Amino acid sequence: MNYIQKYLARGEVALGIIFLIVFVFFSFASEYFFTLRNIMNVSGQLSIILIASIGFAVLLIAGEVDISIGSLLAFVAIPLIQVMNFTESVTLGIIVCLLFGAMIGLVNGFLTVYLGISSLIVTLGMLFILRGAVYLYTGQRPISDELYSDFFFYIGNGKFMGVLPYAAIIAIIILVTFIYIMNNTSYGRKLYAIGGNAEVARLAGYNIKLIKLSAFVICSVLSSISAILLASRIGSANHVAGDLFEFQVVAAVVLGGVSLVGGIGTLTGAALGVLILAVISNGLGMLNVESQWQMVVNGIIIILAVGFDEIKRRKN
Amino acid sequence: MKIVSWFLAAVITLSLAFSVSANPKRIGYIVNYGTHEWYQNVIFGLQSRADELGIELEVMDANLDINKQTQQAEDFMTKGVDVLMMTPVNEEGVVPILRKAKADGTPVVLEGNPAKGMTTLFAICDYDAGFKAGDAVGRILVSRGESEARVMDVGLPLLSATVLRSLGFMEALAQHVNAVKVHELDGSGMIDSSVEVASAALAADSNINVIYGINDGSALGGLQAWRAAGLPEDDLVVAGTGSEGLAFLNEMTKEGTPYLVEAAMFPEGVGYTGMNLAVDLFNGVDVPEHKVTPTLALTVHNFAKYYDFDKAGQKRAINFENVANIPTETKCTKYASDL
Amino acid sequence: MSKFFQKNETILFLILLLLLVFLSFYNPQFYSIQNINSILRSSSTVMIVAFGMTILLTSGEVDLSVGALLSFVTVIVMDVINISGSLFLGFFSVFIFCFLIGLINGLVRTVLNVNSLIGTLAMMLILQGSVYIYSMAAIYNTHLIPAFTFIGQGFVYNVPMPVIIMLVILPIFVFLLNYTRYGRYFTAIGSNPFSSNLSGINNNRYKLIGFIITSLLVGIAGIILASLMDTGQQGSAKGFELIVIAAVLLGGTSFKGGSGTILGTILGILILKVIDNGIILMSIPQEFQLVVPGVILILAVYFDTLRKEKNG
Repeated sequence: MNYIQKYLARGEVALGIIFLIVFVFFSFASEYFFTLRNIMNVSGQLSIILIASIGFAVLLIAGEVDISIGSLLAFVAIPLIQVMNFTESVTLGIIVCLLFGAMIGLVNGFLTVYLGISSLIVTLGMLFILRGAVYLYTGQRPISDELYSDFFFYIGNGKFMGVLPYAAIIAIIILVTFIYIMNNTSYGRKLYAIGGNAEVARLAGYNIKLIKLSAFVICSVLSSISAILLASRIGSANHVAGDLFEFQVVAAVVLGGVSLVGGIGTLTGAALGVLILAVISNGLGMLNVESQWQMVVNGIIIILAVGFDEIKRRKN
Repeated sequence: MKIVSWFLAAVITLSLAFSVSANPKRIGYIVNYGTHEWYQNVIFGLQSRADELGIELEVMDANLDINKQTQQAEDFMTKGVDVLMMTPVNEEGVVPILRKAKADGTPVVLEGNPAKGMTTLFAICDYDAGFKAGDAVGRILVSRGESEARVMDVGLPLLSATVLRSLGFMEALAQHVNAVKVHELDGSGMIDSSVEVASAALAADSNINVIYGINDGSALGGLQAWRAAGLPEDDLVVAGTGSEGLAFLNEMTKEGTPYLVEAAMFPEGVGYTGMNLAVDLFNGVDVPEHKVTPTLALTVHNFAKYYDFDKAGQKRAINFENVANIPTETKCTKYASDL
Repeated sequence: MSKFFQKNETILFLILLLLLVFLSFYNPQFYSIQNINSILRSSSTVMIVAFGMTILLTSGEVDLSVGALLSFVTVIVMDVINISGSLFLGFFSVFIFCFLIGLINGLVRTVLNVNSLIGTLAMMLILQGSVYIYSMAAIYNTHLIPAFTFIGQGFVYNVPMPVIIMLVILPIFVFLLNYTRYGRYFTAIGSNPFSSNLSGINNNRYKLIGFIITSLLVGIAGIILASLMDTGQQGSAKGFELIVIAAVLLGGTSFKGGSGTILGTILGILILKVIDNGIILMSIPQEFQLVVPGVILILAVYFDTLRKEKNG
């Protein structure tokens, strides 16, 4: 009995139940919702936000934040498409794109960790800088994928055996890998320790700066993978891509119980947060609910879910 | 079971025999920015025609989110609509959607700008719309005995469509007077940003006699900045674009306003034409690659022919017939690819 | 003397001075009354809201919903005056609405204990959606009351009305924050919530007040914006919250709470607005209006951090 109570008190279980309720509701409400095709579509659609959310959650757990990821999405797609168009190699494009992402993560991390500027400020500045740079470089025109390769198209649009989207497979692999890292490696434990109590972590002899820097790089590189999937889905490097993406990610991750304070939360929770918001968005669309109502519903759900979580935490 | 299939077969044979082309039953439209007045009126036109034809129209709003738009296209295909209509958030961004729709066998009709791999498109000619406004403004200046147009262009470089409008406006103006673009601004297509940037520009140089806005918000924003700077309105001419909603009608019917010209694009008419195009495409009728919808320079003297404006009740009603009779280009003078 | 130079405001003032000198060399038009008025007018709405945001950030909270609320206010004020023909009713409904939103924001923070970054983000979504549920179409000025037009567009002795409104509000906040115990409480709450709680300050009550004040100020700014646009426009004021927050942070207020001055905020806003203005005056591509503030924000906060490290 005690065991069950303890189990139910876990945030992920509550989220799982919310997810089930939402899922069952839409299955009955719309004839199109609970179909293999729709479920598979949704799983592909949410992978873009899921992958970035994993990186974002890792960084939050380490006690820092990166709100420049939306602008990053637009920014790193430029080297991706340019290199692909120029060298006719998708692999090279992806490598260069990830390198650019890692560089931005290093810059964000360096400014925060080694110069001591708050990460919120650094990445707020970076949000403006990257978006402005994209506008300047592209002259606010999209750069289209001239290579038109099937491989690149399938990354974001194709389905394995015509059923399971490749994007979802990539997301699941990344999710499982990082859940393992966070739970079962000393690196993961160090991230939690640093985010939870930096002073204690310092006394324990952890290299706080280096570990935080690595979390920034993880966040930016995973966001870059999201950028690749998005670029494949929109066939271009696009200056309008990723606008307000950071807000969607923050909402999903925090809904998933990852705290902005650092050191608290799990990737499973974050993934459930993404899942819930994606299913609601898809379900309301299937029911022809106007998008302005969708925004209102999302806002209320976030407040209630986070508020409920906080109240429960205080009780414990 | 057998009866049903017989029945079905009979229906199919009959409809083939009489070659009665059945209209599509359900059409999905993904609007890029559904809360904008222009698109609300496009949707009104689509809905008006859909109602006449007994077609069920479903609308989703991408709200300028390019990622969301691709998801909504997938969702509509899952729902199995007969025709998918969409206004791309960005025309390059829909190329993969068109590819997916082709594989899925869903016919697609675009509104706005052409994209690689599309079948058919309905849209106004942006360059020509701007040109008509520039022509009208040029005539007004000549009638006032002026030889120079000093223009503040409240533009939107983000979209090739709006760049084309500014270009057409200036080139037409140059045919009448010596046209100088004093300010080239980015007002984001919004009235508040337009007021802001126009204020700064007017402070730098207010020797202007023409304000052009690539949409109504931009034109009104430019005019509001002019007013907030306390400048005299006697020699000024303001031209807006779009006939998006009530804004230009309210301003144009004011006593003594400098807002004299509107490059009307009749969004309700755009929607009406688009619905016809979608039906044609579904029925296998030969459709043009670009179905041009009418544009016209409206002034306070001729707008009543096309819009029944109820100022007190803040409503307008379009006259579909008169709009449809406006002579229309078969091909635009300039496209985005000419920029 | 050395203490003077260690103050954040001094550095900001020097940056502003440098910008002013540079721009006046580049374009003599910069010092025209018209241009100064244009900069001050567009600064005033940001400043009015930033006063509230400074208090909030000082107490360790933030409000991301100000931009969405601002645009909602323009719609409400125009609609109510159109219907009722009464300025008073229009303003009254705006302040009631803003009070309620501020109250909800504050209660979500203090009762539900939701981090204000998240709570007000959600409120932003709710307001952005519901403004269209209120009215899909923009609301135009059909009441044509001259006094309403005067609020945003009028002048008193060559000074734009919005600037005068801002100047009336300013001393209240300077006084409140610097010379009353309430002001010190906000700082105390932000810098050390536990000890302030122990010393008998009701943290939650002050935070609630901070949210309500901010929303009410948005109400004033929204009325000015509606008058300036002559329209109630949904979707206006896009990105307003980021500009306000960036300016307040640039002004030396810490995101972690506990420090902040109104003077710093004013300087922060003027710097950003002079840059915006200069970019248009110099006909530099307007995209730089995004890049330059980003760089300046990071640099300013970096120098601030450096200085604080040196001092202690």
